[in-house]
Amino acid sequence: MRGDATTPEGDPGALAAVGAVSIPDRRALADRIAAIVVRAGGVGIIASILAILVFIVAEVWPLLGGARVVVDAKLSVDPPAQALLVDPYRSIVVSVDGDGHVRARSLESGSVVDERKVIDVSMSSLVAGLADPEGRFLALLDGSGSIAVVPIAWQVSFDQGQRKIAVEIGDPSSYQLPEDRLVMPFVARTTEDGSEVLAAHTATGQIALFRRSREVNDFTGETKESESRSFAAAPANLQHLVLDDEQESLFGSAAGGRIYRWDARPSLAPPIEVAQVDGDITALTLLLGGRALVVGLESGGLQVWFPTVAAEGHESLSLIRKFPPHASAIRHLTSSRRDKGFVAVDAADNVGLYYSTSERVLWRGPAQVEAVRAVVMSPKGDGIAMSGSQSISVLEVDNPHPDVSLWSLFAPVWYEGYSQPEYVWQSTGGTDDFEPKYSLTPLLIGTLKGTFYSLLIAIPLGVLGAMYVSQFMHPRLRNVIKPTVELMAALPSVVLGFLAGLWLAPRIEEVFSALLLMIVAFPVVIIVSGSLWERLPVRWRNRMPVGSEALVFAVTLALAGAGCLALNDAFEAAVFGGSFQTWLRSVVGLQYDQRNAIVVGLAMGFAVIPIIFAISEDAFSNVPRTLVSGSLALGANRWQTVSRIVLPTASPGIFSAIMVGFGRAVGETMIVLMATGNTPIRDWSPFNGFRTLSANIAVEIPEAPQFGTLYRVLFLAALLLFAVTFALNTLAELVRQRLRARYARL
Amino acid sequence: MTMLGMTSRRRSTERLGQVFTWMCAGALALNLLLAVGLLILIGMHGLAYFWQASVTEIELKDGTRLIGEVHGIEAVPTADAAWEGEQRMRLKIGNRDLYGLDFRWLRESEIETVTTPDEVVLLERLEWGNFYGRMVELRQAGSPVAAGSEAVLAALPDLHQRQMALRESIESLEHGEMGEVNYELEKLRLEERAVRMRGDDARASADLARMERTQAQLDERYRELAAELTAMRDRLHDVVLVMRDAGGQTKEIAVGEIVRVVQPNSMGTLASVRLYLGRIVEFVSGAPRESNTEGGIFPAIFGTVMMVFLMSFAVVPFGVLAALYLREYAKDGPMVRAVRIAVNNLAGVPSIVFGVFGLGFFVYLIGGTIDQLFYAEALPTPTFGTGGILWASLTLALLTVPVVIVAAEEGLAAVPRVVREGSLALGATKFETIWRVVLPAASPGILTGMILAMARAAGEVAPLMIVGMVKLAPSLPVDGYFPYVHLERKFMHLGFHIYDVGFQSPNVEASQPLVFATALLLVGVVIGMNFVAIVVRNRVRRSYATSAV
Repeated sequence: MRGDATTPEGDPGALAAVGAVSIPDRRALADRIAAIVVRAGGVGIIASILAILVFIVAEVWPLLGGARVVVDAKLSVDPPAQALLVDPYRSIVVSVDGDGHVRARSLESGSVVDERKVIDVSMSSLVAGLADPEGRFLALLDGSGSIAVVPIAWQVSFDQGQRKIAVEIGDPSSYQLPEDRLVMPFVARTTEDGSEVLAAHTATGQIALFRRSREVNDFTGETKESESRSFAAAPANLQHLVLDDEQESLFGSAAGGRIYRWDARPSLAPPIEVAQVDGDITALTLLLGGRALVVGLESGGLQVWFPTVAAEGHESLSLIRKFPPHASAIRHLTSSRRDKGFVAVDAADNVGLYYSTSERVLWRGPAQVEAVRAVVMSPKGDGIAMSGSQSISVLEVDNPHPDVSLWSLFAPVWYEGYSQPEYVWQSTGGTDDFEPKYSLTPLLIGTLKGTFYSLLIAIPLGVLGAMYVSQFMHPRLRNVIKPTVELMAALPSVVLGFLAGLWLAPRIEEVFSALLLMIVAFPVVIIVSGSLWERLPVRWRNRMPVGSEALVFAVTLALAGAGCLALNDAFEAAVFGGSFQTWLRSVVGLQYDQRNAIVVGLAMGFAVIPIIFAISEDAFSNVPRTLVSGSLALGANRWQTVSRIVLPTASPGIFSAIMVGFGRAVGETMIVLMATGNTPIRDWSPFNGFRTLSANIAVEIPEAPQFGTLYRVLFLAALLLFAVTFALNTLAELVRQRLRARYARL
Repeated sequence: MTMLGMTSRRRSTERLGQVFTWMCAGALALNLLLAVGLLILIGMHGLAYFWQASVTEIELKDGTRLIGEVHGIEAVPTADAAWEGEQRMRLKIGNRDLYGLDFRWLRESEIETVTTPDEVVLLERLEWGNFYGRMVELRQAGSPVAAGSEAVLAALPDLHQRQMALRESIESLEHGEMGEVNYELEKLRLEERAVRMRGDDARASADLARMERTQAQLDERYRELAAELTAMRDRLHDVVLVMRDAGGQTKEIAVGEIVRVVQPNSMGTLASVRLYLGRIVEFVSGAPRESNTEGGIFPAIFGTVMMVFLMSFAVVPFGVLAALYLREYAKDGPMVRAVRIAVNNLAGVPSIVFGVFGLGFFVYLIGGTIDQLFYAEALPTPTFGTGGILWASLTLALLTVPVVIVAAEEGLAAVPRVVREGSLALGATKFETIWRVVLPAASPGILTGMILAMARAAGEVAPLMIVGMVKLAPSLPVDGYFPYVHLERKFMHLGFHIYDVGFQSPNVEASQPLVFATALLLVGVVIGMNFVAIVVRNRVRRSYATSAV
């Protein structure tokens, strides 16, 4: 210590202040400020842990919110629109109006920006309009039985940072049959290269499929149009038709709740009945991806049907989900082009916004128009446009995270293309219509699995080792051994992970049998070498500090380990018939992965041992000396004292050591990231890999857009980790605080 | 029993107790074995990386000749019954530009002869990894300078040195003047955007005109430099070494692309040791090559050290304040218990959670706000709104604050009561006592905490993967451009280097030895720091053990 530190230097006032009560104001002020700053530092610790908690909760919170829907625009129109489209920025609405015109109106001013007369209503009436779900055309069916497809082209341009949307209503192309009329229902789709597919019911009770393709010759610039037609039988009372994005399957519903499917490529095949819905179908749509059908019923019911893997070749659909029904019949359904969401409008003009994967009702409310005739979702899925008898309304939908619910995060979900509800984590996929699968359950199981196998190794080694060091070892030896074990804690986990993944894993695969042999051999070797040690002359033993046998055991164990490795091949041949992995696969039926739970258990166990060791050693050696001395004085031997006095007294400390070790293993990232295959499977087998919550965050968060669903789900994973470790650590600390108080009383 | 010296009849429980004791001893022995074994493993593999083994030439029974280094011999996997009981050899054949593969497995029965010819050379190259073969000819500007192994070897060092000097001047031009021009151009671009964002008035158009002139000057300068560089690069590829591989294939290698020429089989012990040390120096001070799988790790060392020091600026004051609160100011009660629980939780919450917090809070919230306010002209390219060394340091500071608190508390507790009371009795205020007496006395404890926190931070990877590390940082966070220290830059880190090279590199097999060397360095630094901390702590304890009496 510095000599001058104890006397206030160079301050004449300091000497005068000795014994005096008053302290100069400046010094008193400094004292008070320091007290405040120091207190703030203490509170700052609590504040930072709370800040972490609050911040993470705040990031997770919006995940569970529903959709916010507000009226964006409302226009009066006359005559009413039969079908409508909006642009991605919701500034223009294009509609099929009752007077046979297609009109584009600005949603801001309500003025008509473009129009085209398609049907002369004095010649034949407009029967129905149809809007392309992808926003590329509008179609009109007239009373004479022909259908006009009117292409709609949107142009987005930027002028001085201002976005300008222009719309162009193109030349209609007409579809008709020479000896037949096209009637309701009908459906059409186009592709980006301009080919059109149209399917319609005919007056003679057939289905007609038109395919028009346009081929542009790259050299001459000529376009060649070709049309093919095919026909197939239609069931009686056909009511609705939908066609998937690839124009491969045509679905139709008929009276009595029957759903049929036609193969539409290359030409129409006869219909197959694929589902029998309980009730009358009043509306039908396909979800994004074209596999799942949403069915609206006369009773107000809403159902999702899709083919399951078990039902081969799309031959039949299964009822997968039921949504809470509307009070009156569903009249219109439309699906989002962005995700698996859809909108339903019922006969009483109530609108509902739903999401298939998460089975969520996101919003329900009034349509803002009377007698809804058509409904469409905006291309970005952030608006709903509806036309009523006198007006068109556009609702703005703020719906950031429809795809997850608490239920879908933890419970099995029946995803499209799966044969049963499952727990799946698969956040990204190759295609636009991919259905993200955010089930945290396999990750939770992976976390517990890794923790279990590592604690299986760490608890016995850590606690028993600590007991030995604190109770049976000479202090001189203890002062060397204890820091050595604790130094293990300083090893960076990335190094452990690297060794586990690249060095240990391939070697364990080779010598797994030796590892099994060691489990049996080690206790035997310990007992044998213990007995031999005991037979050594007392004179020799006394020369070494108490507890040296641990060092002797280290040598014998190392030799035994080497022996086991040498015997690996022979043992493997004798017990497992040559190869453990083959034996495991053929006899037990388990797959052996190179990077598996045992490798992780060993590496993570290694990381957890020093933690458990240090805290339990503390608990053991803080047991009051008086208790130990008393026990020994009463004639108990060393082991009796340890097992009956020390262990019970220190047991809360051991418990808290295990809790802290558990917390460490739960949150460990690098080791599991490097030493497992990171496959999110749900399986307890020690011979395959897993993915933990923590590794999942490390793998996925660099790819997660800020404030997206994946981002928030990963924050939820972090919150879970936080909550688990917070609970464990708080419990451990409380136990330790009580233990300390108890030791102080003893 | 031994400890109490009582014997005679042994009851069975006693026997059992003895066995349990042995089991405890066995558990401890296993712990020690694991700890020591692991260190030996890393040490051996890490140090072996720099050692040049002899290079063997192998002739196979089918007539193929190969040159390479033997990397281990093992039994052929038993699954393959045809080769039951045979040994196989893993040969590093290098010459990636010719063969595509770095390694080849050779079965014992395939091999005809194994020799170690003296004249075989190993070329360490900037690209494509090692080349093993024989020297044929040295050419300058297309005409031969020397032919035959010995003549080439004699003529090579001078030319090699000249070409290396040329390469260095190219690099200094690229990073020096060229870099400066690029930097000025980028600055100009941002300035221009800022002026445009301000709106147009007379001053703005004057500014823009001025900028256009500067831009033209800079562009001109850039073209000059680029031409100069091209000329220098041509000269670099002027001197060529013609090599022949084991199979007789010849390959021209620009001398400027060669890092080192070694004749491993004719090297004396002294030369071997010098090579060994030279490689260590290169490893520690050199830049990485071939997407980090070769060359040095200097940027990673630099990034780690800088991040750790930045972190300690934040963590030490915070940790010491909290420790002072717990030890000197607070009275035992619910508040202290709450703080202790918070400290324990900060220590126990998984590091990845800190990373997630750092990303959301520091990077996106604070960094994003800073960008909006001060770097609006660079948007949408984020400046502070992306991972960087500052955010990484702050995140780690939060993570390591419990380490400092615990050590500082211990340091404070070790200061004897009498010292405090003496100071107070002399009329010092509590603050003066703490500032002038207690803290200086507790400083070794605080130092211990700081070292331990730095060691912890040096080894932590998971949170940094999220808030600022990159595989290959284009520039260090410190350079010659104002403001010299760039806290927003991404950086390289030793721990991440291990993960990245070990698991994400295109050639995991070939880069494994380098990862071992990096791991050895990291483990050495971390353990060394812990060791220093232990020594400091023990010394303090001892000094108080005597002074307190």
